[in-house]
Amino acid sequence: MKFINLVLKSARRSKRRTALTVLSVAIAVFLFSALRAVLDGFNAATEASSSTRLVTIRSTSMIFNMPTSHVDTIRSVPGVQDVTYANWFGGIYKDPKNFFANIAIEPESYLRMYPEIIVSPEEKQAFLEDRTGCLVGSGLVKRYDWHVGDKIVLKPGIPYYGTQDYPFTIRGIYKSGSSAVDDQTMWFHWKYVDERGAVHGQVGWVVALLNNPDAATRVSQLIDEKFANSPNETKTDTEKQFQASFASMLGNLNLLLGSVALAVVITTLFVAGNTMAMSVRERTTEIAVMRTLGFQAVTIFLLVVGEGIVVSIVGGALGAFVARLIVNGEFLQAAGGFIPQFGVNNWNAVTGVGLGAVIGLLAALIPATMASRLKIVDALRRVA
Amino acid sequence: MGLIANYNLRSMIVRKGTAAMTAMGIAMVVAVFVMTLAIAQGFRSTLVASGSPENAIILRKGSTSENLSAVLKNQLPIIESLPQIAHGPDGRPLASAELLVIISLPRVTDNQPANVPLRGVGPKAYEVRSTLKFVEGRRFTPGTREINVGQQALTRFKGLALGSDVKFGSATWKVAGIFTAEDASFESEIWGDVDLMMPAFQRGGYQSVTAKMTDPSVFESLDAAIAADPRLDLKPQREPEYYADQSATTTTLIRVFATFVTVILSIGAVFGAMNTMYAAVAYRTREIGTLRALGFSRLRIVTAFLAESVALALVGGAIGCVLALPVHGLSTGTMNMASFSELAFKFRITPGLLLGGLLFSALMGAVGGLLPAIRAARIPVARALREI
Repeated sequence: MKFINLVLKSARRSKRRTALTVLSVAIAVFLFSALRAVLDGFNAATEASSSTRLVTIRSTSMIFNMPTSHVDTIRSVPGVQDVTYANWFGGIYKDPKNFFANIAIEPESYLRMYPEIIVSPEEKQAFLEDRTGCLVGSGLVKRYDWHVGDKIVLKPGIPYYGTQDYPFTIRGIYKSGSSAVDDQTMWFHWKYVDERGAVHGQVGWVVALLNNPDAATRVSQLIDEKFANSPNETKTDTEKQFQASFASMLGNLNLLLGSVALAVVITTLFVAGNTMAMSVRERTTEIAVMRTLGFQAVTIFLLVVGEGIVVSIVGGALGAFVARLIVNGEFLQAAGGFIPQFGVNNWNAVTGVGLGAVIGLLAALIPATMASRLKIVDALRRVA
Repeated sequence: MGLIANYNLRSMIVRKGTAAMTAMGIAMVVAVFVMTLAIAQGFRSTLVASGSPENAIILRKGSTSENLSAVLKNQLPIIESLPQIAHGPDGRPLASAELLVIISLPRVTDNQPANVPLRGVGPKAYEVRSTLKFVEGRRFTPGTREINVGQQALTRFKGLALGSDVKFGSATWKVAGIFTAEDASFESEIWGDVDLMMPAFQRGGYQSVTAKMTDPSVFESLDAAIAADPRLDLKPQREPEYYADQSATTTTLIRVFATFVTVILSIGAVFGAMNTMYAAVAYRTREIGTLRALGFSRLRIVTAFLAESVALALVGGAIGCVLALPVHGLSTGTMNMASFSELAFKFRITPGLLLGGLLFSALMGAVGGLLPAIRAARIPVARALREI
């Protein structure tokens, strides 16, 4: 510990060089934390998804609908406590580029089964009472500067919803209470869409709430058996599995983001290692003098390593702090809503600082070895 | 320039350790740049390869993709009778009315269900899309429950081998043939008879008509003819343009990601280059003084150090390109946002992309070298010469 001053002194020796190294480590940690946060966003959506809710879709693919009679059949399956249903509306708000999820739901049961959709009792009541009303997420409201009472018009994107426009009135703004529900969705009445559309009595998926999560496998089998060999066979899974298979469709994100993160770390190792080596080379004479004065080789080694770690922890903290500050839910809107919300959290930031320390340690290893193995006589004879 | 270029080159070799580290830093950035953009490139060219300039795809007016389009059964004969549509040797019009639905099949790698595009096609589909070639088996026989499977779909999803039975749409279908399509998106699809697909999926009409035109130049008159017919609320698009549009969302997403990552990463590498060049200038203060005393102008010194930095970065860029090359041709898949189904594609590194990587590295070298080079030129001659 008594050497801490010495370490700080040598770090300040060339301020510009130290600053550049700090900044390059900061950038690496910033990128790393941001990438980590994206992956966490996907995992969180899966993790937070309920395993007490079962989702039933058509076995062929979720783009096909099933008749409303399926809802009552599923309600009658033992082990099912509550049922709701929804349709993917796929409406277009002004321009196809304005992508967000807009879903027709059976409002009462849906809000009952999804306590994650947090909305005030007054707004909820107003939404339930207005057949053309809608609930919009707090994120969407920010994106389009909407307010309660605003009228918005969606163009139907899927042929069986007809060709005429669908006007809605915003009756409430919901907040998301967990990663299972994002704040970028618009919900409205299934009945309104059903009446106006070209095809009637169709639901996209049915959600069943289980009495007991351990019964998930048995109940989902029971549900699928009910519709086996009918024209509308189903496939039932827990919400968690459903979310996981959806994320897996985007491709191997773990591998892609992981390799980019690795490249980031390696790049920084090259940059930081190079700088450390430079600064050791510059101090050759100085180190030789210290050795002559009686400093052990191991002390010299630790001094150089310490300097590397100090510099990169400062860089890591800076990068993590900036990432924590600017990478939040509104970041990367360009993703168009298909990517779950993500933001750098404290844990990502701490990991980032840790990564910074590791980078510093690794980068300093070779220069530190160089410094500790210095031959005093040669070094003193050398003119810097 | 000979002397000074030689001097800079040799100085770089003298400090080969530092130079190599800096170059490697830049190499990593360029490798990430090339690899991520190779994904976007591969995805895009897979879709673009699906379009042929001779073909037009006819969708409902206002529809941006096949999934969202509808073509009525009685509209097909009207389209087929248009004079701009080419005819086969048998005198029949080369137009294929199609239905595109998505079915769910387990992936080979993780057994997870994934969305696979299933295309119901007309009897002339294989004449309209001449790039399709059968590697195994034969075309499906119209009127039977037979299907053809694209090569990529075969390798990515379970149970699609030649001769196997596949269950979907409350019926069982037999795989009669496997086809390739010169890397086009059709290789990720399953094809069958549209007239059997419609009842299987309770559809009353087609979604699109793809037709071969007598000549690419008749497109405008085809467009006018369809617009003029009140029975057709449809709009033709040139096939390559249509497929380029289909790739836009995903390609933009990947490009935004790639740019974000590489730009930020490159700042780190530029700092590295800057450090190296500052150190280089500091070590060689005396030499720079000598050069100036010999009569080399400040501008010459600036350009010399800038050139050294750019050369160093270019070496790094070239290494980065080489590091990225092995991913070329690697096959992967992702969800195509426009069709909501999986599309298999290959990483694609084009000469243009490599050139872009090299230019990018040169830019990093120039930015990183500029300040140190100016510093070198500003050193007062007398003081520089006095330094040991």
